[in-house]
Parts: sequence; structure tokens; C-alpha cells
Amino acid sequence: MNIRRFIFNFIFVLLSFILQTTVFRVIDFGGVVPNILLIFACSTAFIKGDKQGIWVGFFCGLMVDIFFGSYIGFFAMIYMYLAFVVGKLHVVLFSQNIAIPITIITIADFVFGFVCYVLMFLFRTKFDIGYYMTNIIIPEMVYTALVAIFYYPLILKIHTYLDELEERNAKKFV
Amino acid sequence: MSPIIKKRGEEFTLPSKYLLFILTGVCIATIVLTFNTSLLNGPVNSFAGIFVVPFQKGITAVGMGLKDTTDKLSSITKLLDENEQLKKQVDELTIANTNLEQEKYELTELRNLYALDAQYEDYKKTGARIIAKDAGNWYHSFVINKGTDEGIQVDMNVIAGGGLVGRVVDVGPDWAKVQSIIADNAAVSGMVLSSSDNLIVSGDLELYRQGYVSFSKLVDDADKVSIGDKVVTSNISDKYLPGILIGYISTIDDDSNNLTKSGRITPAVDFEHMNEVLVLLDLKKNMN
Repeated sequence: MNIRRFIFNFIFVLLSFILQTTVFRVIDFGGVVPNILLIFACSTAFIKGDKQGIWVGFFCGLMVDIFFGSYIGFFAMIYMYLAFVVGKLHVVLFSQNIAIPITIITIADFVFGFVCYVLMFLFRTKFDIGYYMTNIIIPEMVYTALVAIFYYPLILKIHTYLDELEERNAKKFV
Repeated sequence: MSPIIKKRGEEFTLPSKYLLFILTGVCIATIVLTFNTSLLNGPVNSFAGIFVVPFQKGITAVGMGLKDTTDKLSSITKLLDENEQLKKQVDELTIANTNLEQEKYELTELRNLYALDAQYEDYKKTGARIIAKDAGNWYHSFVINKGTDEGIQVDMNVIAGGGLVGRVVDVGPDWAKVQSIIADNAAVSGMVLSSSDNLIVSGDLELYRQGYVSFSKLVDDADKVSIGDKVVTSNISDKYLPGILIGYISTIDDDSNNLTKSGRITPAVDFEHMNEVLVLLDLKKNMN
């Protein structure tokens, strides 16, 4: 990972977090915000493979932990594992077709919601999964998918641009 | 052959599964560390203060500015009508005020006489603006724009519109994280004002969507507590100052053990449309 890519990732993690906690809090639907950090982590993992996905996912989760988590490392782990699994799909499924990544991000957000429910609510004997599904997990998933349709192409474009730059630099030294 | 053994002429790279293992270990270590100690608070808080909070403050300020201007433009005509009415009201109120002032004098005299406990009007407090809300949809915590520089400490109580909002759980140089009482992982020791019975108020995600928080462990053998009674923070709470309004009882049910009661409370604060809060600068543990 070169310095340019590092700076890009760093800025986008910050940007996604700030968007999620301020701008989208104002334009939420029924108190539900889209999970932009997850979109960014999964997009990066899907475009660049599991290794970068792990790093980006780790730091995305860490942002949530620092501000809103009770224990530092909890969300970092969830985001990291999701990005790792999505990154594994990079080899098999990566193409320019936008439908595939959007579907993957949607599924990832559903899994994220479900894991959150199990770890934070089911363990405290709150069993009404139907309620949490219809009021939080599914709305969040739909909203996240909607935002991903616009956010993913942006991330893809910047990554392709950075790839081209790297190739050009590599050719210079041959 | 193990993939981490370096081959000649090949650049050394760590396979992703090993990276995953290492970072998982780091995560578990930090979870354990933050669970047991507060070692990590310093560096982490300063990171947040440098990189994130300034942006959140800026965006919130811009957002509020935009909203203010649009509101201003759309409401000029309405304001003109209102102004007329208000002028009339001012006249009426001035008369009422003189009456009240006389009564207030009487009241202070009587209060002194009875040496009543301090109301929370007497607590020192400072206003703060909410600059970010929880990143997820599960809990209701938020970040305000004041921190240790303004004298805010962990466990200080936060109120808005006369009712209890929550307490500070984490603090940095110029920001503080507030856990609200409606969050699913929050609980407050409360007291019914009319009968001085203690109860536990706990946030509930399911109920909150309908506009309630739940209460439990109310011991009320004499059936004195009724719907509409005021619930305030109790004297025995170790984090919350006594006598802060939480809300009003809206339903009461008998528990299956026939000893205690539980039910719902309508909170006094509108948590959905909360932009500014007041932080009470007195700590419970410093009060006598």
C-alpha cells in the first residue's frame, strides 16, 4: 500500500464516519441511519481484496468504538471480519457490474445488524427478534443499499485512478 | 510449505489470514484493557479531539445555520401575526407578573422557613450543543461540544427542557459523550414524587419507538402510585443528582410475583428533536 492510497483510505474513513454521525443523522428515515462506514469497508475489500479490507474494516470499526462503543475493539472486530469475508469474494466475483457489490454490501449490512442484535440484545435476554428485524435491521439494510448505489461508484472511480497512477509509475522504472 | 517462509528474490508479504489473526488478538486485548482499566482513554481521546471533533462541530454549525435561515425566511409572515398577539399578551403578563412577584417573595420566605432541599434550579450548569449522534441504530448516545476545558467530568448529569437526558460517560478536551436514559443499556434509580417509592427506570429500544421508557421494581403495597404521577431521580442513586424530573407514569402493571410493579413512563424530554442540552456541573459524589 503506497502513501497515496493510505491517505485516501484515511480521509475516507474519517469522511464516512463524520457523514454518518452528522449529515445522515439529520436526514434519517424513522431514526435509522445508513451504515456508511460498512459501505466503505466492504467496497474497499471488494475492489482491492481481503488484505486492504482487513485494515480499512479495522479502522472503520475503531472509529465507532472510540466515540460510541463501550469497549474499544468490539466493533473493530465485527467490521474487520465482514470486510475480510467480502475481500475473499474479490477474487471470485470482481467485475465492473455494479449489481454484485451492492448485493454484497446489502447482505453484509444484514449480517452486521444480526450480529449486533445477537451480541448486544439477545445476550441480555431480549428475544423479540421480529421487532428488531422490522424496525432496525431491515430499514438500515435498505437505506444502506440505497446510499451504496451512489457511494460505491465514487470509491471505485478513485481506486481505478490510483491503480492507473501506480501502473504509470511502475512503467517509468522499467 | 508454510506461506510465511521467505523465498529467495520474492518480497515478503504477510498472508491475510495471519493479519486477521494478529488484529483479532489486538482487538481482544483492547476489549479486555478497556473493560478493566482506563489506560487507553488518554491517547484515544486526543486522537478524536484532533481529527474528528472539529469536523463534526463545523458540519453541525453549518447545518444549524442553514436550517435557521430557511426557518427565518418561511416564518416572517407568521411572526408578524404572532407579534401582534404577543404584544397583547405582554400587557396581560405584566399585570400577572407583579402578582407573582409578591407571591414569590412569600415562597422564598416559606422555603427558608422549611429549609427545603435545593431544587435543580440551584445547580451550576453550562449549555452545550449536540454535535454528533450514535453511528449505529441500536443505542442512543451522542457527543456534545464541551469537555474538560469547560470543567465537564465523567458522571455529570445532563438535562434538557427541564427533564433528565442522561449522564456523561466519556470526556475529552473539547467533547464529551453522553449516554441517554432511553438507551437500551441504561438504567436510572428513580422515585415517585407523590409517594416517595423507589423504582428502576430503564431504557428500552422497543418501547422508545412508541415514546416510552420502562420502569420496574416499584414496591407499592398501598396502591398509592397512580397514572400521571411524576417520577424524579431518587436520593439513593450514586450517579444522578436527586430531584431531576424523568417523566410521568403512563401505565402500571402488577408483576407476576405480586410484590413489585412495573410499567411505562413517558419521558419529559423530547429526545428526537434535541439540539442543545444543559450539563449540571455538580457531581453526586461531591454533594452532601
